[in-house]
Amino acid sequence: MVRTYSRYSRMIAWLKILLPMAALGLLSTIFLLSGDSDPASRVPFSQVGIDGDIAREEVRSPRFSGTTNTGAALTMTARVARPSENEDGRMEAEVLEASILSQDGSRIDLSAPAASLRDATAEAELTGGVEIESSTGYTLNTQSMLTSLERIEAESRGRVTGKGPLGTLEAGRMQITTAPDSDDIQLLFTGGVKLVYIPQPD
Amino acid sequence: QSQVAFGSMAQDTSAPVEVSADSLSVNQSDGTALYTGNVVIGQGDMRLSAPRVLVVYGEQQNRIDRLEATGGVTLVSGDEAAEAERADYNIEAGTVVMRGNVLVTQGPNAITSEEMTVDLDTGTAQLTGRVRTVLQQQSTGDQ
Repeated sequence: MVRTYSRYSRMIAWLKILLPMAALGLLSTIFLLSGDSDPASRVPFSQVGIDGDIAREEVRSPRFSGTTNTGAALTMTARVARPSENEDGRMEAEVLEASILSQDGSRIDLSAPAASLRDATAEAELTGGVEIESSTGYTLNTQSMLTSLERIEAESRGRVTGKGPLGTLEAGRMQITTAPDSDDIQLLFTGGVKLVYIPQPD
Repeated sequence: QSQVAFGSMAQDTSAPVEVSADSLSVNQSDGTALYTGNVVIGQGDMRLSAPRVLVVYGEQQNRIDRLEATGGVTLVSGDEAAEAERADYNIEAGTVVMRGNVLVTQGPNAITSEEMTVDLDTGTAQLTGRVRTVLQQQSTGDQ
C-alpha cells in the first residue's frame, strides 16, 4: 500500500528536521558565536575608594591614658589617628587633646590641631598652635610642644604667650615637670619671663 | 625712727605692675609663683630688683597680696636708691617694707637702719631700728 503523504504529515516531517536545526543554531549563538565579553569586567567599580585615603587604616576618636608612679594621670584623645606613611612606629593624629591630672585635683589641658606620636621615644609632638590651660588659671599658647607619653614631662618648642591669673604673661620657653623636691606638678617658664599685672581696685 | 622723703611724689599705685625675670616656676597644687634670676618689679618710675621674688596671692587667685623679694634687694625710685636683704612690696597699699641692714643713699648722704617702710603714695620712708646717717662733707674746694 502506497502511503499517501498528506500535506500535514509532509509538514511534520520537515519540521522534525528544521526545528532541531534551529535549536542547534540558537545554542551556537550562546557558545560559538558569542564574543569574549567577560561580564565581571563590565560591572562599574567606583574609583573613589582606590586612590582616596580611605584605603589606609585609621582609628576614629582614639583614647590613650596612663598613670605615673606618683599618681598623676595623662589622658589623650584625638578625632582620628592613622599610621604615618613615611616612617613606621609613628602615628599622626588630628585635633588632639591631652590632659594631665594630678592627685590633688589640679589639671593641665593641652589641645592642638595636629600631633605625631612616636612609639620609639614614647613622645608626642603637638604642632599647629598648642593651647595650654591649667587649673591654676593660666591659659597660654605656643607654636608646638613636645610631650612625653611615659611621665609628666612636656616642653614648648618656642615662645609662650598668654594670660596668668594675675595678668598677661610671656616667656621664652615653658616646661611642665614634676618639682624636684615634692611630687607636685610644676609649670616652669624660662628664657626670660614678663608679666604685666593690673592692680585690681578693691 | 626718722622720716625721709623717698622717691618722686604721689606714685600712682594703681598703675600696672610689670614683673620680668629669667624664669618663673608655678606650683600646680597650691599655685604659688616664684620668680628667680634677676627679677625686676616695676611700677611707674619705681624699680625693685632682687634675685628671688615670691608672689603671695590675695584671697581670690587674681589678686596679689604682696611680693616677697629676698636675697639682696635694691629699690630705686626717682633719684633715690635703697638696698636691703629682703623687701615685701604690698601693691594695693603701695608700701615697700625693707628689712635687714637697710642702706638708703640720697645724693652724697647715706642712711642705714634695720628696717624701712616706704610709702610710695606719699613718697616718704620711715626708717626704724638703729638709724645712722652719714653726711658727706661737701669737699671744700680742694684740687
